[in-house]
Amino acid sequence: MKLMETKNLKKSYGNLEVLKDITMSVEENTVVSILGPSGSGKSTFLRCACMLETVDGGELVYCGEKAVTDNDGKAVYASKERIRKIKDYFSLVFQNFNLFPHYTVLKNLMDAPIHVQKRDKAAVREECMQLLRKMGLEDKADAYPYQLSGGQQQRVAIARALAMKPRILFFDEPTSALDPEITAEILTVLKELAAEKMTMVIVTHEISFARNVSDHIIFMDGGVIVEEGSPRDVIDKPKNARTKAFLKKLEH
Amino acid sequence: MKFRRIAAFLVSAALLVSTAAVLAGCSDKDEDNTFVVGFDAEFPPYGFKDDSGEYVGLDLDLAEAVCEKRGWKLEKRPIDWDSKDMELKSGQIDCIWNGFTINGRENDYTWSAPYFDNAQVMVVKADSGISEVEQLADKIVAVQADSSGLAALTGDDATDENKALAATFKDIQQVGDYNTAFLNLDSGVVDAICMDIGVAKYEIHQRDGDYEVLDKHISSEKYGIGFYKGNTELRDEVQETLFELLEDGTISDIAAKWDLADAVCLTKDSKVIDGDDSASKTFTEELAYVCKELLKGVGSSFAIFFFTLLFALPLGLIISFGRMSKFAPLRWITKLYISVVRGTPLMLQLLLVFFGPNLIFGIKLSSDYRFYAVLIGFVLNYAAYFAEIYRSGIQAIPKGQYEAAEILGYSSKQTFFKIVFPQMMKNIIPSITNEVITLVKDTSLAFAIAYTEMFTIAKQVAAAEATIMPIFIAGVFYYVFNFIVATVMDMIEKKLNYFR
Repeated sequence: MKLMETKNLKKSYGNLEVLKDITMSVEENTVVSILGPSGSGKSTFLRCACMLETVDGGELVYCGEKAVTDNDGKAVYASKERIRKIKDYFSLVFQNFNLFPHYTVLKNLMDAPIHVQKRDKAAVREECMQLLRKMGLEDKADAYPYQLSGGQQQRVAIARALAMKPRILFFDEPTSALDPEITAEILTVLKELAAEKMTMVIVTHEISFARNVSDHIIFMDGGVIVEEGSPRDVIDKPKNARTKAFLKKLEH
Repeated sequence: MKFRRIAAFLVSAALLVSTAAVLAGCSDKDEDNTFVVGFDAEFPPYGFKDDSGEYVGLDLDLAEAVCEKRGWKLEKRPIDWDSKDMELKSGQIDCIWNGFTINGRENDYTWSAPYFDNAQVMVVKADSGISEVEQLADKIVAVQADSSGLAALTGDDATDENKALAATFKDIQQVGDYNTAFLNLDSGVVDAICMDIGVAKYEIHQRDGDYEVLDKHISSEKYGIGFYKGNTELRDEVQETLFELLEDGTISDIAAKWDLADAVCLTKDSKVIDGDDSASKTFTEELAYVCKELLKGVGSSFAIFFFTLLFALPLGLIISFGRMSKFAPLRWITKLYISVVRGTPLMLQLLLVFFGPNLIFGIKLSSDYRFYAVLIGFVLNYAAYFAEIYRSGIQAIPKGQYEAAEILGYSSKQTFFKIVFPQMMKNIIPSITNEVITLVKDTSLAFAIAYTEMFTIAKQVAAAEATIMPIFIAGVFYYVFNFIVATVMDMIEKKLNYFR
């Protein structure tokens, strides 16, 4: 089943066309990694998919529900209530974590499930403690974000996203703000999630990680999908010259 | 070569000029032929600024005549009436010569002989229907702070008859100057002004409005020239010259010029007044009295402080929303509002809020309005400052916080109150502390519209007691107040330190 689908997604900043005709989909229980040089439009694509930015044209569909429909090349967004419901299907982990500094770790996790999703407080607390335990952070429940290391903060951010029980989880360069040894710590968490069949879309620069964990690789450049397919095809035997050049550069 | 010569010339010229300046400074002190007269430039006809910007007046004419005779150079030094004793004590002025009432101040200065007879009268609006002082019962009467009118009605030496009369008034309102008094009368905030007949004649002549001077003289008193206590040498010189001027008719000529010829009371037998030292209070008595008086104003100062914060803090937040609104006209309006409020003096804004409704719309004001005017002025002013502080606090919050809130599905209301507001508060506490401390001190500006808070009282007591101590005590009071405020704000800041 396709959890997420885009058709001919377009986005421009003034005269600069950042996304040209992006068509892709994400199957349930799979991991999709998006690779590409900086300025390729991969982060913009992710932000458009999460509706932090609006698109100019194309379609955006979550679990069969249309968030954006294309009306003669113009993007039309669904009603506010529908969008609110659709937003519940996904969550996003930011590059800079964006934890709420005035909330404890536990409150960062619990607040939205209780006050946005209106779930039962006791049940939410139980689930959130379990998530923290899974992230190895149960002793940090009452700590404030500034008391944590970068890696710990990103694990809290992942737990916060998971607490919302999304069907699909986006990651925007989740390790770019971290030291190499801490990067490994986060990638391990992502691998565990993949093993549990969590549906994930990851924008990353970690090629070997992408190859190990992904079911599908998308290589973007210049606002278009240049090449896509299994890791074996795209990373080990790239056909397109731009993909080859990009991968070659990263080897050094 | 040429350059060197020019440089040498310039250096020596500079040396010459600076030496001359130093010498000039010295000689000014040594040959003391300048006679500095301190006067209230808002007290016509005795001393005031005329239409051409010159300081003129009956008393200044007299002083000029004395200087001519003596071969002195007259320096007319306009002073703040409340600071007259500091000016005199510090030697900035040689005497106070400005319709200066002797009665009640006999022991505070070394006096010339009384030269002028001054009556206190009541001025009302011609259409008020008031023609007898008895009709002033339940009315509000304005007097200048520390004026003869005030002393005649409520002072220690006031007659029983006047005290009884004053008791029938609804209130006696002290104002800073007669211009304000007439503004008050015009706007209906007060019903009558008690003032000197000379001033009354002059003011009514100058103003378009129809006023009436009630026939009854509230009191009569003598004007003299006040010198620093003990400075009999200078006083005697001036007095001697005054007798000469009386002899040759100069004094009556000058009085006639100002239409006050029948008020001259100086005769060749008039005696100077040296006053009595034993009447003055001891320092501790004085201190106790001053503190007691000031404490009466502390409540008013605190009320301004408290209510300004109560209303300006939330209003500032609303204004900051307007300032950051996506709706451009609203943004422009709030921007203009903030720019005007920050760009003009608070004192001026208070005057506008208080007198504006009458001057612009002709609304008759009740006397209760005085306190509300102070509040409105302060709240509107401080809200503008707070709005900018809020704005900076809100704009300092990283975009990522909003994005995280959006991804988690918070509504915009939830985002503001749960995420933005607490972080903003932490960001702005130091700036807010600054403003709050400034507010404590700014409460003293309420004197501009004669609201009797602590500083107004301090100035009144200072004037009445001929000492500057109340001003310093008031300073101590403000410091203590602010010390408490700073401590409380510090506690709040520490409390918000639980996150970073």
